[in-house]
Amino acid sequence: MEYQVPRKFPTTVVGSYPKLEPAKQALRKIRKKQATPDELRDLFVEAIRGVVEDHLWAGVDIISDGEQTREDMVVYFAERMNGYMPGEWTRIFDNVYFRKPIIYGKVEWPEPLTVEDWKIASSFAEGRPVKGILTGPYTMLEWSFDLYYGDRREAIIDLAKELRKEIEALVNAGAKYIQIDEPALSTRPWKEEADIVKEALKIMLYGLDVKKIVHICFGKIEYILPYILEFPVDQFDLEFKNSNFRLLPYLKEYGYDKELGYGVIDVHTTQIESVDEIVEDIEKIMNLGILSPEKIYIDPDCGLKRLPREIARQKLKNMVEAAKIAREKW
Amino acid sequence: MTVWGMVLGAYPRSRLARYTLRDRERGTLDFSQYTSRLLIIHSEIIGVQKAHGLPIVVDGMVDWHDIFRPFIMRWKNVSVNGLLRYFDNNFFYRIPVFTGEPDPLEPVWLPRIRQFKDLAEPSSLKIVLPGPFTFVNLSQNVSDLSKTELAEAITSILKSEIELVKEENVFIQVDEPLVGDRRLSKEEVEEYLDYWNEIASLSSENSAIAIYFDVPQKEVFDVVLESKFKYISVDVIDSKRRAIELLGKTGLPGHVPVLGIVDARRIHEDKLDEELLTMIKKLSKESQEIVLTTTTWLDLIPYTYALKKTKILSKFVDIVSEKLGLEKRILWR
Repeated sequence: MEYQVPRKFPTTVVGSYPKLEPAKQALRKIRKKQATPDELRDLFVEAIRGVVEDHLWAGVDIISDGEQTREDMVVYFAERMNGYMPGEWTRIFDNVYFRKPIIYGKVEWPEPLTVEDWKIASSFAEGRPVKGILTGPYTMLEWSFDLYYGDRREAIIDLAKELRKEIEALVNAGAKYIQIDEPALSTRPWKEEADIVKEALKIMLYGLDVKKIVHICFGKIEYILPYILEFPVDQFDLEFKNSNFRLLPYLKEYGYDKELGYGVIDVHTTQIESVDEIVEDIEKIMNLGILSPEKIYIDPDCGLKRLPREIARQKLKNMVEAAKIAREKW
Repeated sequence: MTVWGMVLGAYPRSRLARYTLRDRERGTLDFSQYTSRLLIIHSEIIGVQKAHGLPIVVDGMVDWHDIFRPFIMRWKNVSVNGLLRYFDNNFFYRIPVFTGEPDPLEPVWLPRIRQFKDLAEPSSLKIVLPGPFTFVNLSQNVSDLSKTELAEAITSILKSEIELVKEENVFIQVDEPLVGDRRLSKEEVEEYLDYWNEIASLSSENSAIAIYFDVPQKEVFDVVLESKFKYISVDVIDSKRRAIELLGKTGLPGHVPVLGIVDARRIHEDKLDEELLTMIKKLSKESQEIVLTTTTWLDLIPYTYALKKTKILSKFVDIVSEKLGLEKRILWR
């Protein structure tokens, strides 16, 4: 059965969701090398089903697998691609770390990396579209140590060529929404950096008949905005709530007219945004008068992985309620 | 003419450090166990720097979650908010939120200096302070204070940190990474010159300002050159072309160059190429002293690599000493 995504203010997620208990258990077993592939698969299926159930309960229109199998957005891909080796613990904030991977040879895509999870999520989705989500080549390089290429452009383009194969695998499996996560792009807001990403995106997305999305968050997005408007994508999915909607006037200033993933949920606070608050935040962009409701996708600022599950669920629920009200209002 | 080396700032956390902080947060480690484990961790880091002949050493600051946290946790009228990306790193700091005039309850550095001074000998310790420009602009101000009043208040507290350790023969470093932002205008930085000078004048012979992650525009760097800091530290590797161009144009008249030539954000084996040697040679003709350092703090790479980078820094000091005929300095005082 096909689900009809609302024409105005469709709701969606950026991707990650709090790790559910079966996923935590599976990841622990992987670390301790204690599980068979079948055991792991069963645990991850259970976790992905839980995520999809939460998305359905909240009423989200375009959902994700919650990235339950991904220990980290970069490490997951790096551990599975040829040319990478595992790194050591590097701090992200406070006393939280990730194993920053190391590029030591030419990167190569070995086989589909996210397709199985996408299929599992789709099987529970009751017809709702599931985003195919992968970490982009720019972020893959920026958040790895490079001991092989030494040339940023060369590494990014090689990664783009290999990740294109993953996107093709997702599209062949039936994915209609492809999201490339490039949070690192906001950290170096220079034209020359944006030009490399544009070249990489052309390689990754050329000729594909899907909704093409790039997600960027947490940085001086306003500085990079003028350079990314020519990217070959349908939609930018951006963080707004955490930075108090600082970006809004810049959208108007630069004549933004693509679809917009409009982040109205702060993923860094456990305080749950009320329905009224989210409606008010939607009003902020409507007051700008630059985008129609058909071009605005309501979603959180970023992945919800750092929140407790109950908080994440309720945040999504309120977001969906607010979008319903917005549809009536505009 | 002399050359010497020092690490710019904090070290990353070893496995023991990560577990120590985790156990303390979970409440499974009491305060005395926690402090004695930290002592072991910091002693190792100090020992590594001493073993590599660095006359100024940092204590490692492995218990600092970010550059602001130890300060704001000891100040009244400041809290922490959500996470924000720290420059172009995959690292986040908690945004300081000023709700009133900051008021220190206790100093950050005095107890550390007392604890580590003897351990560091014959090397001397360095204290690192977040500069007022970076502090104010990377914080949220919801108090009634104007930005200028907040900068004044922060400067005053930073000065008191220095006053308290003045007799301890320490090196003072004020970190202003935000000054490296190439989008800044001269006007934005200029008003902080007085605050820098207030800080620098407390210890004019052994104080440095450190700029890293990028290279400032010339007009902004000109303001830095007007400051009374004897030492000026510049990240030479992250934007190498721009750094060499800037230093070639302006030099560092009246100041001692502190050159960040060991890449603290990447793990490759650094090379001291001819281009760098030529630049160092040119600068050494204008100064009686050259200091080599890491491009930034070492806490953005894993611990084992930070130890390797310390060794590389020491090796670079030897190479520069030998090739340029500069005397290698191994004692600060």
